[in-house]
Amino acid sequence: MADTSQPIPEHALARLAGLRREGHPDGVFTSDFSVNEFLLVRKAGFEPIGLCVGSCIYHVGFQMAGWGSSVEMDVLSTAMYEARALAMERMKAEAQQMGADGVVGVRLTVKRLEWDDKVLEFVAIGTGIVHAKGHQGFKGPRGEPFTSALSGQDFWTLLQAGYRPLEMVMGSCVYHVARRGPFASLGTIGQNVELTNFSVALYEAREIAMERMQLEASRAGAEGVVGADLHEGNHGWSTHVIEFFAIGTAVLPIEGMAEADRIPDPKLVLSVNS
Amino acid sequence: MNPIEPVDHEQRAAEWTVALEHHGLPGFVEERLVCAAAGSTPWVASMTPAELLLARTHGIRPVATVSGTCWYHYGYSWTEGHAEGWHKALGRLQREAAAAGANAVVDVRMRTLRHSIGASMDFTLIGTAVKIAGLKPTPKPVVATVPALEFVRLLEAGIVPVGIAVGAQFDWYLNNAWTNGGAWQTQRAMNSWTNQPIMDLTEFWEGIRRQAHAELRRAAAQQGNGVLAHTHFGQLLRRERDKQPPQYLGRHIVIGTVVEVERGEGVSHEVEMVLDMRDRASPLGAGNGPRHSSYGSDMDDQEGSI
Repeated sequence: MADTSQPIPEHALARLAGLRREGHPDGVFTSDFSVNEFLLVRKAGFEPIGLCVGSCIYHVGFQMAGWGSSVEMDVLSTAMYEARALAMERMKAEAQQMGADGVVGVRLTVKRLEWDDKVLEFVAIGTGIVHAKGHQGFKGPRGEPFTSALSGQDFWTLLQAGYRPLEMVMGSCVYHVARRGPFASLGTIGQNVELTNFSVALYEAREIAMERMQLEASRAGAEGVVGADLHEGNHGWSTHVIEFFAIGTAVLPIEGMAEADRIPDPKLVLSVNS
Repeated sequence: MNPIEPVDHEQRAAEWTVALEHHGLPGFVEERLVCAAAGSTPWVASMTPAELLLARTHGIRPVATVSGTCWYHYGYSWTEGHAEGWHKALGRLQREAAAAGANAVVDVRMRTLRHSIGASMDFTLIGTAVKIAGLKPTPKPVVATVPALEFVRLLEAGIVPVGIAVGAQFDWYLNNAWTNGGAWQTQRAMNSWTNQPIMDLTEFWEGIRRQAHAELRRAAAQQGNGVLAHTHFGQLLRRERDKQPPQYLGRHIVIGTVVEVERGEGVSHEVEMVLDMRDRASPLGAGNGPRHSSYGSDMDDQEGSI
């Protein structure tokens, strides 16, 4: 805040003096923004309108994998994907209902419910925003609201970079890593060796999750995916079962903003307070 | 001089009781606040020196620490008790701030003691009452649950943090008899071997969250025209019953900072992009911790009162 001499606007002072304007034509917005996020979303030319939430309580089916085989647990992969997609879908429907251009800061969570280990609760929550001047060019695929896992800060920065978010894309792969047989274990006693079958299993599972995410991004018509993240997780399955979950925000260049030389170089600072 | 002057506790307790009943303040509290406002006793602020500096450049002067507490017993609803408890504490905080001749209370923290005295809990708000140069005192000062630094930053952008809104909602999902088709379906889905979303429970649970959000919006409308929700707390509990389908209790609480803002105004400050050259623990990256102590991770999903 270098330019702190900026005065406090009149209407803010009036409110502090206890004068409250009656009636707000645009109603009341709800959001889960922090102060900085709120400022940057507004700086980007958007206004929040409401919290959007979608959830899915999902019963995960049963699947066995052979003791010594490395295979995808496709029933579990499908469950993990479908439940998240449903939660996202329902969140997007709420956003569309309130007339949002998009949803930013989407958090996608999975929670195991205490009372049944086969039932998982998936929740997607984010803040629906609209362009303050009614610009329609920010909608996602098929004219639906865009969805983005990026925070308000990252949203502003992405727009500065000449890109706009399209859709959150994801890929899931639940994989059973083979156990090693007793003879294989005996054979490597006292040796330093790579357990190739384990390496391969991890590679394969990760690869599948990323491929699926990338496929979703190309279907959405994206140029790229930002903020891609690959999680490994185990949602109450046996120790040899791992979920690889890839998630990111598919983006597209903004028309007429593509020249990179318009973007100012960031200033380098070294903060002296430690 | 004895640093701990003797105090007539009975007398003070009686004054407190009368004050709480009549929505007023005990004489000794009023005196402390009025003296601080007049400058005859030192001002007290939770601000850091940096915040004090910024406050001064914007004509903001700290007055006194003010608080509001409500120890609340849950009768019929745990969930709605939270909305009521925070609301009462908010009113009391504002009363103290008004006595201090303040325009705003900044750096307001939400606090709760960890205790277990029956079905009850305390709701406490503590903050720093401030005066703004050139403004008359107001009977209802704004309550900002943000530190002074953020308060000033918001004001510059034409955004006034004005209060706290709570949206709380609970409901039972009652399957009263196995003859109810829905109960069977839910149960079949839970016991099946295949993947399937449990749609009725999903809709029930999502409905509670959405109603909590609607409550939040309604509560915010009393004070401003927007809310930045910082706290979300939800539980879906199951109650097993003998020879009957299980019941589900869903409850959700969402709490946020209410703001008043001119829509579509944007932000006039230039944003400059910087790269911090510090490797670890960059103060630029240091976030503010949660502004409350009431909903820690140690709150488990055990069944409790609603």
